[in-house]
Amino acid sequence: MSIERSLKQFEEDRKQAVKLAARLLLASGTTSPRVGGVGECTIHIVEDECDIEDLCQKVEKMAADNKRWDFFKRDAAMLRDADAVLIITSLRCVTDPADINCNMCGKLTCEYLREAERLPDEPGVAYPGPLCIFRANNIAYAIDGIVSQARNLGIDYGVYWSAGAAAMRMGIVPKNTGFCVAVAISVTEKSPFRDIPLKYDEINETTMNDRIIKRLWPQFRSIYS
Amino acid sequence: MPVREMNELITSGLDRAVELMAVAAHNSFRFSGRNTIKIVCLAKEDMEEIAEFCYSLGDMSPLAARDGRFMVELIKEPCALMLIGDKRKSDFNYNCGACGYRTCAELNKAEETESLTARGPSCQFKNINLNIAANAAAAMAWRLGLHCRVFSTLAFAAFALNKIEGVDLATSVSVSVAKQDPYFDRHKYWTKEHWDEIFKKEFPTFTRGFIGANEDE
Repeated sequence: MSIERSLKQFEEDRKQAVKLAARLLLASGTTSPRVGGVGECTIHIVEDECDIEDLCQKVEKMAADNKRWDFFKRDAAMLRDADAVLIITSLRCVTDPADINCNMCGKLTCEYLREAERLPDEPGVAYPGPLCIFRANNIAYAIDGIVSQARNLGIDYGVYWSAGAAAMRMGIVPKNTGFCVAVAISVTEKSPFRDIPLKYDEINETTMNDRIIKRLWPQFRSIYS
Repeated sequence: MPVREMNELITSGLDRAVELMAVAAHNSFRFSGRNTIKIVCLAKEDMEEIAEFCYSLGDMSPLAARDGRFMVELIKEPCALMLIGDKRKSDFNYNCGACGYRTCAELNKAEETESLTARGPSCQFKNINLNIAANAAAAMAWRLGLHCRVFSTLAFAAFALNKIEGVDLATSVSVSVAKQDPYFDRHKYWTKEHWDEIFKKEFPTFTRGFIGANEDE
């Protein structure tokens, strides 16, 4: 089975477009506002197919860690179809509260937050809260920086905290990261992040391909040829 | 069609722009797909009140006082202040732990702490949704060519003065059509003496040439 040359060229250009777009989105996310003008977020591009698969497997495994995280399996199926994943981190929300005593975390002063016991590093806990919410809010600006640029460029996107939490567990983000969210992007004709059927972790493009094309079609061919 | 004056065009354009910002904020991306934010746009009298309140915080919060002084100047030209707020409790059921409680149910049952600035403890994802909305409004303002800055000080003041009801957290987006961008390089709200004094206090070693010398005065 050969693919026409021009179709191969299209596939190659599409992949290049993803690489370019991911960097432009990173630029927009990086230059979005920060509370008090203090730098705190980093954005990491995961674009290698194998690296994306590693991330998906981690997300899938985490689904079993907490009974509310069942949707992680569906997220993993969507992320598998992503062409690149941008991981946004917040580096100051655990170690460096904003010192403005805003009470959003429920501690009346930032001193109390510094002294507060953090949730332990165990499977059912995604983030080591309580976090400095005022600091972690910078992630919101970075997300919208990326999302609004993606809309301008006409790139399909999906935002997933599951992949952010998985990236933290995998240790592929800076060690001070307290909060982490991922934006997956795709340059395809049909967005893999919209119109998600029920049971998507079981019935998706990969499994359909595997059952219908890879399994039933060869059988059909053997029998009826 | 009669000739319309520039001032009239600009003020009515500003009103329209604020409406579009509200639409952008209202329809912005959010986790769990549910929009629970509340948006209000304040009248000039409310902004005056907020400016006075911020100014009165004085020594307690020099930053808020500066923003109070700034607001007094800001409202002399056409401007608007959009407040965006949300509830603090989680309706996501993510059990992510970012708030410091293992489950959303625990967070929602936790004792509420009151303060002038916000009611806590609050759900991290509620905050993220709220601030994405703020950024979407700011991005719309940017596209429309308005001067714009997101202020938490002004939002905290508005929250303390009950300018936005039925919310636990708030942030604000201020926009202006002043002749010069009023939001950046705001040196005139600090005196030079005060600046020098604070700089010396915060960065005492800045002018040192050699660390080993004894420079006690």
